[in-house]
Amino acid sequence: MKVFGAGKLVDSVISAGLCCGCGACINLCPYFHSYRGKTAAIFPCNLETGRCFAYCPKVELDPDALSRFLFKQPYDGSPLGAFRSIHVSRAGAKVKKRAFQSGGTVSAIMYFALRSKRIGGAVLTGKQGLLPVPSLVTRPADVFRQSLSKYAAAPTLAALNKAVAEGYGNLGVVATPCQSTAIAQMRSNPMNDPAFKDPTALVVGLFCTWALDFRRFEAFLAERMSLPDIVKVDIPPPPASVLEVYLKEVKREFPLDVIRAFVPEACGYCPDMTAEFADVSVGVLEGRPEMNTLIVRTERGEEMVREARRLGYLELDELPDENRDHLMWAAANKKKRCILRCREAGRLNGEEGKACLRLSAETTERILK
Amino acid sequence: MSFLIDEGKNIQHVLMGNEAIVRGALEAGVNVATGYPGTPSSEVIEAFSKVARKRNVYVEWSTNEKVATEVAAAASFAGLRSLCVMKQNGVNVASDFLLHLASSGTRGGMLLVTCDDPGALSSVNEGESRLFARLLEMPLLEPGDFQETKDIIRWAYDLSEKIGIIVMLRSVTRLSHASGNVRFGPLPETAARAKFTYDGPLLDPVTGPMISMIPARPEPTHGRQQEKLKLAKEMFETCRFNTYTGPPEPELLIVTSSICSLYSREAVDVLGLGQRVGVLKLATTWPLPNKLLTKHLASTKKVLFVEEVAPTLEDHVKVIAAESMSEIGAKTFYGKKSGHVPSVGELNPDIVIAALSRLFDVPYQPVPPAFSEKVKGLAERYAPVRGIMFCPGCPHRASFWSITSALQLDARQGFVCGDIGCYALAAFPTGFSTNKTLHSMGSGSGLASGFGKLKQFGMDQPVVAVCGDSTFFHAAMPALANAIHHRSPFTLVLLDNRGTAMTGFQPHPGSPTDVLGDPAPALDMEKICVAMGAKVVVSDPFDLEKTRKKLNRLLESTEGAKVLILRQACALSPERRAKKKYEITVDEDRCRGENCGCNRICTRIFGCPGLIWDREKKVSRIDDIICTACGVCPDICPAGAIIKKEVS
Amino acid sequence: MSAAPLAKDPYNIIITGVGGQGNVLASRLLGGMLASKGYLITIGETFGVTQRGGSVMSHVRVSCKAVASPQIPRGMADVIVSLEPAEAVRVMAAYGNPDTVILSNTQPIHPPGVIKGELDYPPVDEIKEAVKGIVRSFIFLDATERARSLGNPILANIVMLGALGGLAVVPFDRDDFKQALALRMEPGQVPINLLAFDQGYGMVKA
Repeated sequence: MKVFGAGKLVDSVISAGLCCGCGACINLCPYFHSYRGKTAAIFPCNLETGRCFAYCPKVELDPDALSRFLFKQPYDGSPLGAFRSIHVSRAGAKVKKRAFQSGGTVSAIMYFALRSKRIGGAVLTGKQGLLPVPSLVTRPADVFRQSLSKYAAAPTLAALNKAVAEGYGNLGVVATPCQSTAIAQMRSNPMNDPAFKDPTALVVGLFCTWALDFRRFEAFLAERMSLPDIVKVDIPPPPASVLEVYLKEVKREFPLDVIRAFVPEACGYCPDMTAEFADVSVGVLEGRPEMNTLIVRTERGEEMVREARRLGYLELDELPDENRDHLMWAAANKKKRCILRCREAGRLNGEEGKACLRLSAETTERILK
Repeated sequence: MSFLIDEGKNIQHVLMGNEAIVRGALEAGVNVATGYPGTPSSEVIEAFSKVARKRNVYVEWSTNEKVATEVAAAASFAGLRSLCVMKQNGVNVASDFLLHLASSGTRGGMLLVTCDDPGALSSVNEGESRLFARLLEMPLLEPGDFQETKDIIRWAYDLSEKIGIIVMLRSVTRLSHASGNVRFGPLPETAARAKFTYDGPLLDPVTGPMISMIPARPEPTHGRQQEKLKLAKEMFETCRFNTYTGPPEPELLIVTSSICSLYSREAVDVLGLGQRVGVLKLATTWPLPNKLLTKHLASTKKVLFVEEVAPTLEDHVKVIAAESMSEIGAKTFYGKKSGHVPSVGELNPDIVIAALSRLFDVPYQPVPPAFSEKVKGLAERYAPVRGIMFCPGCPHRASFWSITSALQLDARQGFVCGDIGCYALAAFPTGFSTNKTLHSMGSGSGLASGFGKLKQFGMDQPVVAVCGDSTFFHAAMPALANAIHHRSPFTLVLLDNRGTAMTGFQPHPGSPTDVLGDPAPALDMEKICVAMGAKVVVSDPFDLEKTRKKLNRLLESTEGAKVLILRQACALSPERRAKKKYEITVDEDRCRGENCGCNRICTRIFGCPGLIWDREKKVSRIDDIICTACGVCPDICPAGAIIKKEVS
Repeated sequence: MSAAPLAKDPYNIIITGVGGQGNVLASRLLGGMLASKGYLITIGETFGVTQRGGSVMSHVRVSCKAVASPQIPRGMADVIVSLEPAEAVRVMAAYGNPDTVILSNTQPIHPPGVIKGELDYPPVDEIKEAVKGIVRSFIFLDATERARSLGNPILANIVMLGALGGLAVVPFDRDDFKQALALRMEPGQVPINLLAFDQGYGMVKA
């Protein structure tokens, strides 16, 4: 990847409306900040190359280079990306029943990782009212405070960058696909810094089809209810197609078709539904709301899952073919939609410093078939 | 400044033009002097204030120039001699009242002293106030040097009282701020009695009420006013301040006024054209003395006009020439219209030399070309450009840092309407190019009030206006009232640095002292804004994060007009100049310098003169002599490398 | 009092520096001294916005014959007294000629572009080399250093004024200076200013 600087990042991504708000460019320097869900540069930086550009998952992304770095194999455009095994999972007996999303797999893994000191800190996403905020958790029990899904895009990686600057060396991160992609770029040391050391010990990816723009979503809800009364927001798995808002006394529902108006432009340019560059990836299991789908991708991910299961923090089961096929179909569709969108916008293999994605013709064809 | 009131025989001092104005006014027995700070006029009121008590003069920095003129006019109506002084823009502000004053007439002599700034050396426009004399129909005088400035003022007061109208006296930067020898005259006794007589017949100029005009009956007052100007014109025909130097029948006649007359004379001398060129210096430039001009026009075939800034003499004299053409024949005119004198910018001797050199085909080369080339190259290499910037420790730098940050984070393309004061510089890099409009006093708030109402046309950019504490009283208050009443959701950031800083830190209605330094009631801006109905928040601009947070919340509010008062004294104010609060140092090991992660945000963007970029060591450091230890830069360093330690 | 004739009439002196260095005070003192000796003086100044770190100049014109304009024509400066070395070069380029005498302080004041790392400010030694032989004489004086040794660097302008006195191109001496000071300063400030004047005077006479 050719690395440019902040100026190009602002032009190609932020001003172009393609920022997904992942936070990869925040807390590296004094220029980029996130405020109420939007990333902005407060003053211009004129360095020709910078980490902000290098880490950003929305510009000059080369999945093949990342795949070779992480998995030692080329990127072939397959729907679920590289993986070693795929399961049905849920939190094990060691993890007391608490409020968590679906099967609680993500919380369980993080809880285990912290308790067993495999990681020194967990970068998670908490919230202030409706606004998701990045957080660093060091006490295992605190993991469960951040358990519920957040539907608005969150700058979680800002907390990762901050923790790295503070000297943390073995971090766990729960990351959306765009965030996992940014972390993978970070880990590949794109600035060729001789002093670089990988600060991550575990990246748990989350399945994601789209996220919501916080400000527009908030404005929509604010027009229809009193924001401080909101207790929880949830999007139940298919076949449901609503967004549920739980208020103190009552539950409101909005059709997903209406809510989809608040999906950021950036999500349309994302090829990754299952966080392909994470160590393990977790999502819902269609038809069974109390379970998760778990994809294991790397050696260190596999090791973590094996130990967690052995010690009772995680329960695994076989994934039925039907679920697997459906997951692959959904993931393949997202990839296809993304490639078509990129191509139409001139952002597939386009101008240097402006392209979202770089893929070989072969891989492109394979995805589009 | 006590030498300004020296008395005795044969006293002579080198005085600034503005000081000569004061001496002239004192010799004329002026009792009331008012104004509003504006470069190049401010020294007039400052000098007056230093002699006020000794000479029984009431001196005031008024809220704005219109009020200043009204206060001085009151003195005149009560039979005292008065003076109001302002820069060219001030005449614009005062013009509505001036128009009516010129019509109602005056009683005690009254002078409007305007100090124009050709070349906009300290202004954001190249103002020309002379045309107000023609437009508002009042006499205009332009003294040509320092002695004349003092001497003409007594004559001007006699003129004003003889015909009963305000007289305009126009100076320029190169006269007001330049100095020359002035011989003093005697100072009169100072016991004056003021009384306003108003019970005479309606239109009686001495005993009646002072009204501008009876509606639908312009003849009595306007007609009367025009008669006054006719009288003035007659007096101007023989005025000793209109002078001519040169041969009786010059090949070229220069018609000039003000300080340009000195440029003209110098140019004639330098080129040795004293036998061929005559210089007619006019001090009475509206209405023009026809007969005098016709006489001089008759003596030549060619005329060159040398004046700043607009071609007013040029246009008016051409009318006279046209009217008398059958007597004196056609003339050829040179000046701004012909391109011999530039239409933009101030003049200087070299410009007049170039015009004469061209007209007479006399070559002129003050220095050998080889020398010129050499020194030009040296200057390019060794004399880097000096930009203007906020002083070290200026609260505006911190304020605009927070304002820009807040607008960027708000990310809806919000903008700031700028205004006049030191903070006007925020349109440029020293203030991070934050201000996106810049016009006149108070106009930032007026524009913002307007921008705020454009939501129904699809505009959703948040609007901010800035104004200073002095500007608030001068002109922003009516605009704020407008915004509140019309529910225009803009945010006014009131930069309260406790004084009128740009012009020399004069007091204003919000200050606890007046121009003499005596205690005065200080109007409370916060209470006023609350009483007007705005939502008001106060912050210390040196606390960057708090200020930014407060502003972001205000930007998100759709309530109506909001005011954020950023209160911190000017770096040049006495309270800040006292002992330094902190010791500031840079930890070179922590400094990230040019690397990704900082890229010199302190020296490259923040740009306080107290911070220096060391090109060799590639770190920033503090210049102890220049740093005022305001304590802000430690908060902008991402590495915590700038350290502040409290000094006990 | 009749004034002694001048080498040139009008005689043109420029005092220049950066806003805040006391340029204006120096030119007023000079003008006052020469006026009291019977000369016709015009001083032209630029100040205002330039105070905030900009270049400032005072044109001091001395004549036995007539009131001169407040701006010296290009190339007609007889003496340039500069409180800052880069300003000396700038003013020399605009108003100097091969016969001009230049006195310059050595202490640089870095413009915003330089402290921000955007522009270059060459070392003073390099400036000294580059200007050799360009004008009749270009004398560099460590006025700020001398002023510091007296307790306050701001006195550099008075040191330079003393140096101009030592040059004796226009007639004024210590007594004239003392009288001029009395008009403009509190009595308590006079001694230190006299000391500064003497320092400058001595530096040129040496």
